[in-house]
Amino acid sequence: MRCFFTVLKMDLRNLFRNPVLIGYNTVFALLLILIMGFLTSGDYASGKDAFQYYLVTMLIYGMLSGAMTATNCFMERDIRRPNLRIIFSPAGSFSVYFSKTLASFLFDYTMHLLLLALLCPLLHVTLGAQPLYFLLLMAPVEFTAASLGTFFCCLLHTEEAASTLLSMTISLLCILGGTFFSLNGMGHILSMLSSFSPVKWLNDAFFALCCDNSQALAVPVAFGCLIFSLLLTAGCALFFKTEDYL
Amino acid sequence: MEKLLEVTHLSKKFKDTSVLNDISFDVLRGEILCFLGPNGAGKSTTIHILTAALKKDEGNILFRQKPITQHLSAYKQCLGIVPQELALYEELSAEQNLRFFASLYGLHGKKLSQAVTYALDFAGLSDRAHDKVGTFSGGMKRRLNIACAIAHRPELVIMDEPTVGIDPQSRNYILDSIRKLRSEGMTILYTTHYMEEVEAISTRILIMDHGSIIAEGTNESLKEDIENEKRYLIEVEENGKIPLEEFYSIEGVKSVEIIENTLSITSLKSVENLDRIISLFSVYHEKIKNMTTENASLETVFLKLTGRKLRD
Repeated sequence: MRCFFTVLKMDLRNLFRNPVLIGYNTVFALLLILIMGFLTSGDYASGKDAFQYYLVTMLIYGMLSGAMTATNCFMERDIRRPNLRIIFSPAGSFSVYFSKTLASFLFDYTMHLLLLALLCPLLHVTLGAQPLYFLLLMAPVEFTAASLGTFFCCLLHTEEAASTLLSMTISLLCILGGTFFSLNGMGHILSMLSSFSPVKWLNDAFFALCCDNSQALAVPVAFGCLIFSLLLTAGCALFFKTEDYL
Repeated sequence: MEKLLEVTHLSKKFKDTSVLNDISFDVLRGEILCFLGPNGAGKSTTIHILTAALKKDEGNILFRQKPITQHLSAYKQCLGIVPQELALYEELSAEQNLRFFASLYGLHGKKLSQAVTYALDFAGLSDRAHDKVGTFSGGMKRRLNIACAIAHRPELVIMDEPTVGIDPQSRNYILDSIRKLRSEGMTILYTTHYMEEVEAISTRILIMDHGSIIAEGTNESLKEDIENEKRYLIEVEENGKIPLEEFYSIEGVKSVEIIENTLSITSLKSVENLDRIISLFSVYHEKIKNMTTENASLETVFLKLTGRKLRD
């Protein structure tokens, strides 16, 4: 266990020293929220509503994009080679892939909490009557995204392939889920397709928390995410091959 | 000497290609066992199986008479592995790298600090301990790559071509350090392409080719087999004018090989026949461009066993 925490500490250190990842998870997300909110403010009853909508949807997009943090943390060229030594050591392969999942989760969660701490008072948006529930629901979503990134690395063996495929899949699910613009007014077929996107379920759960003060959707979403994360971690154990590092 | 590692009937296939064919060997405590072989011989595959990073198809590996798979964590604790590639965090200092990798072997507190000091001293990097690895020269990185593997003082150090691409000074430093590790009681398993390294440090040599062990012995005993032979390498302008039977008719000639425009003639050392060989070239109006004579060396042994044909 001591070995695992040693590896985790190193992974966190590498992540928090990576300016590109810090920028992507804070500045990029912040700009997306501000730009989208500003550009669409005319479509909403007030500018505040536009920012409220895009804070939640872009945050979900950012959380899901956390999968790419995991792929970077796992198989980035300069990290991949030292990982070989961890495999050789008594720490073993579990420490390699699970510490990446955990480190990516902690990193992304911290970045997004900081983002919310900055944006909520700045844009006068709300996280609901119980902001804690909103923040708590973020955790399983972040963890699922990190598990997804690690799983794709184990499955595809390269960062490039994993990141490309994840990026395309997440973007597609987000478009279908109404992250960038709602599909509800775009006809029956698009509306039906939208309801199949897990991002739509996440949007509904987070909006229910912050706008309706309802936790009805939060519990199933949280449990669903946790079960999915467990399955992905089991998949990592199945597909992780030490040969890929040799 | 005590057997530290016993490998029996080890086999490995990648898809349908057999890369290790039923090899068996022992590693004795306190020795420097060198693996020699051309590319694709199976050296690295053997090493990777011994490090437990690659699964074997068949065979047994015993460490201190116990199967490694049953005591994997304890086995790994006793291993120090120097991979062929530099496995270091470039953004961290030498000391931070050593501290991290040594702590993976359960070292902490004072023991960890002592291990780091020992490894820095071993690598000759004490004065650069706090500098980022990214600022180091190739030789310094190679030395640190080794130091990271021995900081926890393993019983068995496995080195996979640890001197690739470095200057002669760093290479000599590393070879001296390896001898020092042995004098401290460590056992070393070493793979390389460089014959001079093997001659300099080995106590025993295994020569591999096509996934099999084709020779085993000390530097001296391997040379013994061909010590009564010499080899003439004769470069000509155009090969094929002289029928090979003509060479075999000369007393003492054991074998003749043609590699492009060079004839490799192996002959008994005791028979003086160079004048007769050269006269054949005159008879067939074959112009000699260059000629050298090779006596027994590890390289001669290696080339004799593995052939001179280029490998992928």
